[in-house]
Amino acid sequence: MNILVCVKQVVLPGMSAQSGSRINRYDEYALEEALQVKERIPGTAVHAVSAGPQRVEAVLRRAMEMGADTGIHLHVDSGEELTPYQAASLIASHVRANRYDMIFAGVMAEDDLQMQTGPMIAALLDYPYASAVIAQEIRPDNTVSVERECDAHRRQCVELDLPCVLTVQSGINRPRYPSLSNVLRAKHQDIIRPEALGREVPRARETTIRTFAPELHPRGMFLEGTQREKAVRLLGLLHEKNFL
Amino acid sequence: MNDGIVVIAQHGENRADPLTYESLACAWSLCGGDAERIRVIVPGDRSRTVAREIAAASGFAVTSVESDVLTTYNADAYLRVLGPLLERTAPGYVILPHTCIGYDLAPALAVKLGAACITGVEAAVSGNERTGFVRTVSAGKLSAEVVPETATAVLTIQPGAWQPLDIKPGSAGAVDTVRIEAGTGRSRTTGFKQAEYQGSALADSTVIVAAGRGIGTQGNLALIHDVARLFPRSAIGCSRAVCDAGWLGYAHQVGMTGATVAPKLYFAIGISGAVQHVAGIRDAQMVIAINNDPSARIFARADVGIVEDLTRFIPVLMEEYDRQQGTTTGTEEIREPRAQENSPPPGPVKR
Ligand SMILES: Cc1cc2nc3c(=O)[nH]c(=O)nc-3n(C[C@H](O)[C@H](O)[C@H](O)COP(=O)(O)OP(=O)(O)OC[C@H]3O[C@@H](n4cnc5c(N)ncnc54)[C@H](O)[C@@H]3O)c2cc1C
Ligand SMILES: Nc1ncnc2c1ncn2[C@@H]1O[C@H](COP(=O)(O)O)[C@@H](O)[C@H]1O
Repeated sequence: MNILVCVKQVVLPGMSAQSGSRINRYDEYALEEALQVKERIPGTAVHAVSAGPQRVEAVLRRAMEMGADTGIHLHVDSGEELTPYQAASLIASHVRANRYDMIFAGVMAEDDLQMQTGPMIAALLDYPYASAVIAQEIRPDNTVSVERECDAHRRQCVELDLPCVLTVQSGINRPRYPSLSNVLRAKHQDIIRPEALGREVPRARETTIRTFAPELHPRGMFLEGTQREKAVRLLGLLHEKNFL
Repeated sequence: MNDGIVVIAQHGENRADPLTYESLACAWSLCGGDAERIRVIVPGDRSRTVAREIAAASGFAVTSVESDVLTTYNADAYLRVLGPLLERTAPGYVILPHTCIGYDLAPALAVKLGAACITGVEAAVSGNERTGFVRTVSAGKLSAEVVPETATAVLTIQPGAWQPLDIKPGSAGAVDTVRIEAGTGRSRTTGFKQAEYQGSALADSTVIVAAGRGIGTQGNLALIHDVARLFPRSAIGCSRAVCDAGWLGYAHQVGMTGATVAPKLYFAIGISGAVQHVAGIRDAQMVIAINNDPSARIFARADVGIVEDLTRFIPVLMEEYDRQQGTTTGTEEIREPRAQENSPPPGPVKR
């Protein structure tokens, strides 16, 4: 098995791109799932890929520390965040030039909350896919049987032919911590930077024209004062509403 | 932007899912009073009954798109049947709910249609040159207005963002059926199953005290139990993050993929207020949130916000509670002068 895991560097609010960014949590679940396949099926290789500017190499290192065999950086630096369609296009063109049996991605990036990239990679490659996967098992007949998480504790069971794309939901496994040997290996191993040739970033298909702070709840208020004053007010309020 | 608006209905057991009527309301708000622009598509193996129901309730034109491969939802089958159909229709908008069907299908459908894809839409902003769509970004901290740059845009709309369509159509909309043959695909839905969780007391609790990742450690669940014990009857809930960390079982999870709850009081402690979490507490009568980040999204849903470090605040709260209990039972204790104790809570504060 040759597995590609898409990892995104997320920059969370109030943090700088340099210091505050980290690997998207859902991608840790995706990577762990791939590493478990590797443990089960001999000869499996796990490759982590990330598209973006130089700084995203930090998450590829992290993926290698966790156990990915290689880190592949699709370097693009337009100064703008890639839209899911743009990221998917870059990843899909990398997949076309290489052979993978399975592609794992996170169900959602924690920063932009799009939930789009995985299914888009599949559509661009014309592969079957499943999103929000909470269990998966590869069968000897080159199919994979998965459970997708639906609403209210309901799961959809789907059987997919390989190659396919799965986006992974949190809770599917417990992502491992980097082992010392992998940390040492990752330190010295080069990140693969495929030629940028022919890797055009397509035009974004949607534009953000403004961002703003969301409105407060119409009835919303904050308790003011010292900790103790707030505690007193809260208890007063709970008495008043007959909760206590 | 093209003219037409296509709503892809979600349905089950021969009835339209209530979310379909939210999609219809979104379409109605986008059509500029011209209902002729709206077409509803009901995919299924036999979807005429649902098509008739929707046509009668909305007055919109409805097409039941039937195929043997559409017995249940399957992304591959939906794409093979709906892709070419929508390509020919070339609508301006395709609208789906942001559910495990909508967010699964929409991005791939958008690629097939060369369309923009805007997911988790919470509002539409018209009046400008182009209609914009509001969605949450920056890990929940901000809202963004996004405009499509293409002739077609595929939208998934956040459940609850639109009130279900409620109009009295003069007459039922036209219903037609198209049957499409589609061979076997590379993905097959083999069934549905219920996840095995023990039943939780969440459904019928009047007070739910819920913990989020902000508690930091499993040990700090003790603080959550402390708060819960203030109330005669209460249950412990939590965010998905707490279950994923293994601190509480999934039976305690509240939200889109957990329990939907409707308590009189919901305490959200160290919970950021992600849409998927808040989706489960839409019917809570009162929400009190404790979070040390004043810009946490949960405060947009809270009736009462307390910006404090929970590990410091809850012990003070408990201490104060014990002291008040002490005084009411007649212990001779000198109380601090607290003039404001019985004054009403302060009015709305703008951030
Ligand atoms: C398909 C899908 C379905 C999902 N379904 C659900 C669902 O059903 N339910 C659900 O909950 N989530 C669900 N999620 C996950 C959801 O998107 C969020 O990731 C999750 O709700 C975050 O949990 P949290 O608020 O506990 O953690 P975080 O988002 O990490 O928030 C922690 C909060 O604690 C605060 N905090 C930290 N330290 C302190 C302190 N000392 N004192 C006070 N406050 C503190 C922080 O400011 C922060 O706001 C789903 C996601 C997907 C993709
Ligand atoms: N620039 C990127 N590089 C690699 N993977 C990405 C990138 N953007 C998104 N992904 C993958 O797509 C998933 C979903 O992202 P999104 O569609 O932005 O919510 C992430 O969890 C990653 O696995």
